[in-house]
This record gives sequence, C-alpha cells and structure tokens, in this order.
Amino acid sequence: MNTGPRDHRDRPHADAGQMLRRLLGLARGQRGWMAAGAALALLSTLSGIGLLAVSGHFITSMALAGASGAAINYYTPAALIRLLAMLRTGGRYAERLITHEATLRVLARLRAWLFGRLVPLAPAGLGGLRSAELFSRLRADVDALEHAYLGVLIPLLVALAVTAIVLATALLYLPVLALWLLLPIGLGGVLLPRWALKKGAAPGATVVECAETLRTLAADGLRGRAELALYGTESAHAERIAVATVRLQQARRQTNRLEAIGGAGVALAAQLAVVGVLAFGLPALRAATLAPPDLTMLVLLAMAAFDAIAPLPEAWAQLGATMASARRVFALADTPPAVIEPRAPSPVVHDNGLSIRRLRLSYGAQEPWALDGVDLELPQGHRLAVVGPSGAGKSSLVGALLRLYPYQGSITLGGTPLDTWRGDDVRARIAVVDQQPYLFDASLRENLCIARPDATDGQLEKVIVQAQLDGYVASLPQGLDTWVGENGVRVSGGEARRIAIARALLADAPVLVLDEPTEGLDAGTAAQLYQALAAAMAGRSVLLITHRLGGLSTLVDQVATMRCGRIVECVSAAAYLGISSGAERASAATQVD
Amino acid sequence: MANSPTTWLREQSRPVRRLLATGIAAGAAQAVLMCGGAWLVAHVLAEAIFAGRRLGELWPAVAALPLLAAARFALTLLQRHVTFEAGARVSAGVRSSLEKRMRGLGPRWAAQQSSGDMVTRLVDGVDALIPYYAGYLPQVALAALIPAVIVLVVLVADPWSALVLLLTAPLIPLFMVLVGRAAEQASQRRWLRLRRMGARFMDALSGLTTLRLCRATAREQALLEATGEAYRQETMAVLRIAFLSALVLEFFATISIAVLAVLIGFRLMWGTLAFEPGLFVLLLAPELFMPLRAMGAQRHRRMEAAAAAEDLIALLAVPAEAAATAGPSPHAFAATRIGIELQQVGFGYASDRQVLHDLGLRVEVGTRLTVVGASGSGKSTLFHLLMGFAAPQGGRILINGEDLATLAPASWRRHIAWVPQRVHVFQGSLRDNLLIAAPQADARQLERAVQEAALVPVIARLPQGLDTPLGEHGQGLSGGERQRLALARAWLRDAPLLLLDEPTQHLDAATAAVIDRALAKLAEGRTVIRIAHRLDTIGADEQVAVMADGRIVEVGMASALRASRGAFARLLAADRAA
Repeated sequence: MNTGPRDHRDRPHADAGQMLRRLLGLARGQRGWMAAGAALALLSTLSGIGLLAVSGHFITSMALAGASGAAINYYTPAALIRLLAMLRTGGRYAERLITHEATLRVLARLRAWLFGRLVPLAPAGLGGLRSAELFSRLRADVDALEHAYLGVLIPLLVALAVTAIVLATALLYLPVLALWLLLPIGLGGVLLPRWALKKGAAPGATVVECAETLRTLAADGLRGRAELALYGTESAHAERIAVATVRLQQARRQTNRLEAIGGAGVALAAQLAVVGVLAFGLPALRAATLAPPDLTMLVLLAMAAFDAIAPLPEAWAQLGATMASARRVFALADTPPAVIEPRAPSPVVHDNGLSIRRLRLSYGAQEPWALDGVDLELPQGHRLAVVGPSGAGKSSLVGALLRLYPYQGSITLGGTPLDTWRGDDVRARIAVVDQQPYLFDASLRENLCIARPDATDGQLEKVIVQAQLDGYVASLPQGLDTWVGENGVRVSGGEARRIAIARALLADAPVLVLDEPTEGLDAGTAAQLYQALAAAMAGRSVLLITHRLGGLSTLVDQVATMRCGRIVECVSAAAYLGISSGAERASAATQVD
Repeated sequence: MANSPTTWLREQSRPVRRLLATGIAAGAAQAVLMCGGAWLVAHVLAEAIFAGRRLGELWPAVAALPLLAAARFALTLLQRHVTFEAGARVSAGVRSSLEKRMRGLGPRWAAQQSSGDMVTRLVDGVDALIPYYAGYLPQVALAALIPAVIVLVVLVADPWSALVLLLTAPLIPLFMVLVGRAAEQASQRRWLRLRRMGARFMDALSGLTTLRLCRATAREQALLEATGEAYRQETMAVLRIAFLSALVLEFFATISIAVLAVLIGFRLMWGTLAFEPGLFVLLLAPELFMPLRAMGAQRHRRMEAAAAAEDLIALLAVPAEAAATAGPSPHAFAATRIGIELQQVGFGYASDRQVLHDLGLRVEVGTRLTVVGASGSGKSTLFHLLMGFAAPQGGRILINGEDLATLAPASWRRHIAWVPQRVHVFQGSLRDNLLIAAPQADARQLERAVQEAALVPVIARLPQGLDTPLGEHGQGLSGGERQRLALARAWLRDAPLLLLDEPTQHLDAATAAVIDRALAKLAEGRTVIRIAHRLDTIGADEQVAVMADGRIVEVGMASALRASRGAFARLLAADRAA
C-alpha cells in the first residue's frame, strides 16, 4: 500500500493539491458548515485588524484635533471601535464552534466511509496488514486529517481574503505601498510556506516511518519479551528503541526548525511591511498626499494583517505529515476488493449442496497455487472432514467457499455458480468457525449475538451447551455479561474457539464449516464437542477441517485427504479410521497417495 | 503513589531546567525587543506628524526596525530550539526508563498486556510529552513574564493606561481558571470518549473478517456512525465550555484595547497626553494578551501530556514480581551438563491463587523428563520458574546442586534452549529471527539448524529466502512454520538444557514425525524437559511426571505408569477415546 513517500518528495505541491482536493470532495456534504466557519473566521480576523487600524486612525485624529482645537466627530469611530470589538470577540467564539463542528462531521463521515471501503478488503485485500498496530495507525491517520481542514484550509482562505483587502486599502491610500507590500506578503504567505512544505516532506515521512518502527519494536518488546530475556538480547532491543527514538527526534527537530523559521519569518516580514509604510508614508505625508491619521492606520493595518498570514508557514510545514496520512488512508481505501460482488440479486434455491470442480486458488500472482484443482462434493445434509498436513490448502478451501478470496474453477451452491451469489447471502447459508476467531472488546453476550442480534436467552443457552461452554460460563461471576477483552485476551485459546463455535451455531445456517475447532482443547472436551455438534447439526451439512484425527467418526461420514492443494482420497469415515489407529494414523495421513 | 501527573511532569523537567530557562529568557528578551520596536514606530510617527520631521532625519530609527526584527528572529529560533531539546531529552529518558521497567517486570507480565494499548503508551504517550516541555511549560512562564514586562513599560510611558491594563489583565487569568477548570474536567471526559471511540473503530477493523463472516458489517458501520455522531455531539458540548475560556480572554483583551483606544483618544484631544506615548501604549496593548492566548492554545498539549503521564506513572508503578530479581549476590554460572532438582517449590500469581504447591522433582544430568497434565495444571509456570522469569515463593530450585536464586540470571539462561508454545516472530528477516538465539552462529551452523528443523521448504517458499522480511509487515509464517523457527533457534542455541513446550502441537503428523526425529537427535547428551499434550508421542521408556492442580501426582516410566491405572492411565484413556 505504500507507494513510498520518496515519489512525492519531488513534487510536494502537485501531490498536496490533489490530496486536498480529494479531502475537500469528501467534505462535500458539510460544505455549508465549512463555508460558514470560513466566513466567521474571516469576519473575526477582519474585525481584529479593523479594530487596531480604526484605533490608530482615531487616536491620531483626536491628537490632531486636540492640537489644532478643531471640532471632531468622535462618536462614529468610538462606536465603530465598540462594534468591531464585539464582532471580533463573538465572531471568534462562533467561528471556533462552527469550524470544529464542520471538521468533526467530516471526520465522522470519513471514518464510516473508510470502514465501508475496508469491509470488502477483509481478509484478502488486507494482506499482511491485519494487526491492531496498523489500525491504531489508521485511526491516527484519520485524526491527523483534521489539520487539513482546521490548520490549512480555513487559515488559507482567511489569509487570501485579508491579503486582498489590505492590498486594496493600500492601493486606495498609497498605491506604491501596495507594490512594496507584495514583497513581505509574498515572503511570508507564499515563499515561506512553499519552502516549509518542500523541506518538511522528508522529515515528515521519516517521523511517520520511525514512529511505525517504534510501534513494532514496542510490540516485539511485549510479545517477544520471553525470547529477549532468554537469549540475553534485551539490551540490544533497548538499543534499537533508543536508535529509533534518536532518528525520530532528529526528524522532529528538523520539522520544529522549519516551523520556527516559518513563524519567525512571518514576524520579520511584518516588520518589513511596517518599514515600507514608514519609508513610503513619510514622504507622502510631507507631500500631503496622505493624511496623518491614514498613515497611522496603514502602519497598524500592515502589522495586523500579518496575524492572518502567521499560521501559514507552520501549517505548511506540518502539511507533509498530514498528506502522508491522507495518502495512506486513500491508498488503503482505493485497494480494489479481491472479490467482485455481483450486481444482480443472489439466485433463489432450496438446496444447500456444495459442489466444487477443478478449484484453484492463489494468494498472489507470484504465489504458488494454494488450491490446485480441488474436486469435492458436499450434498445437503452430508458431513465431510478434510484432513491433511499443514499447508495442504485446507483453510484456503474455506476462504474460497465463503467468497473471501477469488478463485478459478467452479463452486456451486444449490446448483448455481457461487460467483452469482452475493457474499452476504453465501455467508447466510454457510456459518463458519474461523481458524483464528476474533473476539471483540465487548461482553460475551455481545460477542455471541454478532451472529444473530435478536437471539433469545433460550437460544443463547442452547448453543452454549452445544459448544461445551456451559461449565465455563457458569464459572464466570458475571456470566454472559463478562467482558472478554480486546481480541479475547482474557479467555484461553480453547475457550475462544468454543465461543466462536457457539457463535457459528447461533447463526443457525444450513451449512457449518469448522476450521480446526478442537485446537487448544484437551481430548476429552474435543470428543464431547464432536458429539454435541453431531446432534446440533442433525440433517444439516458439516465441513470439518482438521489435522487431529481423534473422534472424527462421531461427527462426519466421509473423510477427504488433502495434499498439496488437491483432494487425493475421499473415503467413508469408518473405512478411513479402520485402516489406521494410534501412532500409525500419523503415517497414514501422509502416505495415502 | 500520590504523584499527580502534573507534579510528575514537572519533576521530569529537572534535568533540562537550564534549557527551559534559556528558552524562557529568550522569550522574555523578545518581549523587550518588541517594546523597543513599538516605541520606534510610535516615535517615528509622532515626530513625522507632529514635529514635521522628514524621512531623511528619522531614517536611523526606521533602519533600526529591521535590525530589531532580525534579532527577534534569531531569539525565536533559539527559544524553539532549546525548548524542543528539553522536550526531546525528557521523552527519550522516559522511554528508556519505561523499557528498563518492562525488562524488570519480565516476560510473564508482558504476556498479560494488551499490545495495542501498551504500544500506544510507549510510543504515542511518550511522544506526547515533547510538546509539553517544548511548548506549554515555557509558555506558562512567558504568560506571566511578558505581561509583567509590558505593564512595567506602559507604567513608565503612561501610568493611566497601565492602570487600565492592571484592572483588566488580572481578571483574565482569574476567569480563565474558573472556566478552564470546568472545561478541563469536561475535556478529560472527551479524551476518554475519543479513546473509546478509537478503540471501537480499531476493534471493528481487527475483527473485520469475523464481522463479514457473521454478516454484521452493515450493522457495525451503522453503529460506528452512531458512535461517531454521539462523540461529535458530546465533543461539541465540551468545546462550547472549553472555548468559553478563550472567549473570556478575547473579551477582556478586546475590551481593554477598545477602552484604551477611546481613553487615549480623548486624553489626546484634551491635550493631557502626548501622541508618542499614546500610540506606543496602543501598539503594546495587543501584545500583552498574546502570550495568554498562546497559552490557551497550548492547553490541549498539557492535557494530552497529563493523560499520557497518568498512564506512564501507572506503568512505572507496577510492582515487579518480587521474586523475579536475583538474590543478594548473584554469581556467574557455567556448566556443560545440567541436573535439576526442585524442592517443595511453591508459586502463586496473586496471594490468593496458588499455582504450584510443594513441587518436588528431580531431573538427572542428561536425562529426559516429559511433563503431562490438563491445561492449567501449572506446566508452563514450571518452565517460567526454570528460566528465571519468576522465582518460587517457597522452596528452591537447585541447578547442579546450586540454588537458582543465587545464580546470575543471564549466565544461567545461556544454558537453556526453549521451544515455546507461541513463538514470537520479530520484525526483521528470517535470518535475524534465527540469529537472535545465537548471534555468533556461522553459515554452516545456520544451514544445519535450518535443515534439522525442516525449515528448508519454508525458505524455498519465501521470495527472498532467508532474507525475506518477516513479522508485522513482512511475510507471515503459519503456526507450524513458527514452530519450526523455534526449533531451529533451539538448534542454534546448542544449550545443555532443552525446554520443549508442546513442540509438535501445531504440526501435521508428517512434519511432526520429522521434527520428533530431529528433536531426538538434538536431545542426545542434553537434559530435556518436555511438556507434552499428544500422549501418543510418549515412548514406553520415557520418564513421565503427571501434574494436576499445581502438584506432581505421579512420576515414573511411561510403561509402568500406564500399567498402574493411576492419573497417567486416566489421561491416556481420555486421549484414546478422542
């Protein structure tokens, strides 16, 4: 998914522009809010600038009036000062509320949108990117996009509008000054941000990369702590963390320097503007082409205008990192799903027999065939075990059957080709116990009810007994309301698998696929589980995938042996188990061909 | 620990105090220069308008402006540089002490942690400290210093204006504290919600395949949207209060500028104030509020740092398993053959849950012991004690007659090769992952280990062979392949004691048979303790210890135990039935 930040470093502009446009496109629904926020931001900024400019004009006029003893209308400017003061204060508050409202709405939508885009990718399109670390990064990436709206877009609009107004005012009072102002404004508003963006791209990418390395190292330090301790490599591990931290901080230091130069550079530009007003204004004053109050006003206007430009260089320095986040989000969202859903509704059939012919499946263009010409029949109500060594392709078979991975050859469900079926409709007919069942950070009840949100207590109780989980549930003080924790960290492997079995049974589908359901269970429990499953699935189809041969005959009628992506033998369970017993089974499983 | 996050954060700044002081001094110096610049502008305008002076006469003052600005530019860079260094040093220090802490807490503690949460703490939590020291902490000092400097300067220029500022300015911190406190509580709730929402998002994505299999994705998406919407509404409720403090600041700042402008205007008209100090004060007034506003903008950094600090303090305060540390004077251990004896070893996780009771066991030099028992009977804990990841609370473990508690853990662990149940694959290549067990191994040793562990077909499958990146973003290894990796590590380790934890559980029968043969070869002349789940792999002449509920209930030759109709025979019968 990483096309590499390097490709974009040379042209940070074009890339950033494209990303921003796309981000704006996603914010389309919130255009009203965004526009209102930008308008309010402009209003309050202009009121602030106006407040200072009018004040300068006002006190100069008053001083002149005092000196000359002339009468002066001080009501209007004094009232204007009060009005601008109120507009600025209220406008600022409203602006902040509205822009945050807009951004939060955009981000909420973005999150849901991204989730929707990721759904068809699991698990085929996500490849190796499956871990919690990736998704915590993804979350951080989505949050980082906030900066694109609050830190970049709105300040940019405000700065543009303020610059236009200031230049117009200068043009009105002292045209040559407008020309001069182009220099500091160009410096602070264009050159510095451009420079910061260009220079910030590389360290921004390094920050992201190093933070990722650190996350991996931190995860290694937790999950691999025993190995580190035993092999005496804990110091080396600490050293790697220290090195990554130094690299990260070096990149951050560079970004910090860019931000500092950007911020201080704008202040410098503001002083250049003031010098310009004085250098051009004093002769104009002398020549009486500029009134004294207007000169004071222009000085204050020039100073205050740079408040609007000030955020830009810093915002642009961070833009590199924001764009890196955007790129990652979009790259993931743009990954084409491995399995294309048909447009037409799924066929209507009354039979749930599965028939597989010459099925081939591979996980990538260069990968070998995980399934290489599988032929298998599972008529409705039949029960079949697929056994074979690890890597024979047993789990790939499940992936193909459930429309999670693309395949070649044919699979039919109820006599109609599987690729005319919508994924969800297939999965409504085939319930599955995954080899790596995931338990959500929720209660046991919620974890079960995912398969069937409207399940009654009676139904839950029934599947809990069937999955041999009743003893475990009874031992929990809070019963079904016990929190099972992130990825089921608080339950053992065997318990997690039985929870997954209960979940699959709750779905009450006509076909049940079990991928290594007895892993982590002792032999006694496994035997009881098979018996219970045999009773629970009476009249329905079962496809059992396992490398454990004990107790098979209680659950299945037939055993198919798989090797190297093919079914090499399919015999009745009695015949299969008859030829082998005890340790001989081991060699039987491998030597049948 | 009574340590509050804020106190803790301040304590951490002690070693970088000088850097922070330099940064603050640079900030204050900028304020002084800013006053100078404002005076120059006021002076030039006053002289030009009211004394009729020309640019030619005033040019030194005008020319001084860019010089002052350049000096401020340099000071800003200095300030940002030193405060960043302060933050970077503190965060690097905290990260390294956390790493040390985790080393102290040991593998047993590490295995119980949820990795997502921990990784966030160690990486993002520690990084969140930088802006606190680089931004917030100096800004707090500047928010007190700079207004004081400005009020002093104004006091000299125009005492009446200073009075106006003195009347309004102190109200600001007062109101900000009042509103800020409410906002802070509310926004702590908001951070919590944010974290929960993030956790929910992450959870849904991690279990995406399961959600698809259960046809629950549409439901989950709707739920996520609803969670996001609820979060937005709550956040906005919080922000309404939080922005109030900014509103208070803006209100007083704007009002005092407006009042000042109007007052100065009238006093100018009445002739009770000269133009130069009047304009000077007007130019300074907005600058008085600038550092306060900046501090307000930095407040979220403080909250982020405090939230992170709270987690970090908790982590640093986790009590280490007292026993995991070595005795008073650990000494180095070296032996080529290992004999082990356990004498009345007792061990418990918490005081109320005893895992091992009065465990007694002897493993003679060069012999092989197979430990069996139902899950939860204490087999894995036994291994942890032997590897020195935890120490017994009662009894002792003797290695060649010496108490394990008196041995230096590192030197003892060099004698162990371990094949764990769950093998960890580190970020790096397959080669890195093998060499971790024996960094000095040469190509020939590596080759042999790879062959003996049946890793050759695995390497053939990987695009870059031994140098294929594994782990998080590299190629995955299946359970069986991981097990082979662990076996190859054990071969490379070439240690006198071999601890095998269910070595063939994830393997199919064919590979298991290959590996069993390899293990038999590896075990020659070594002391081996093996935890077995598949009882059919136990040979008749093997020494077996049966564990149940943290006790050894039977020890003897497998054939004898089989005949004796005891605990082992019952386990065997259950296994056969399956």
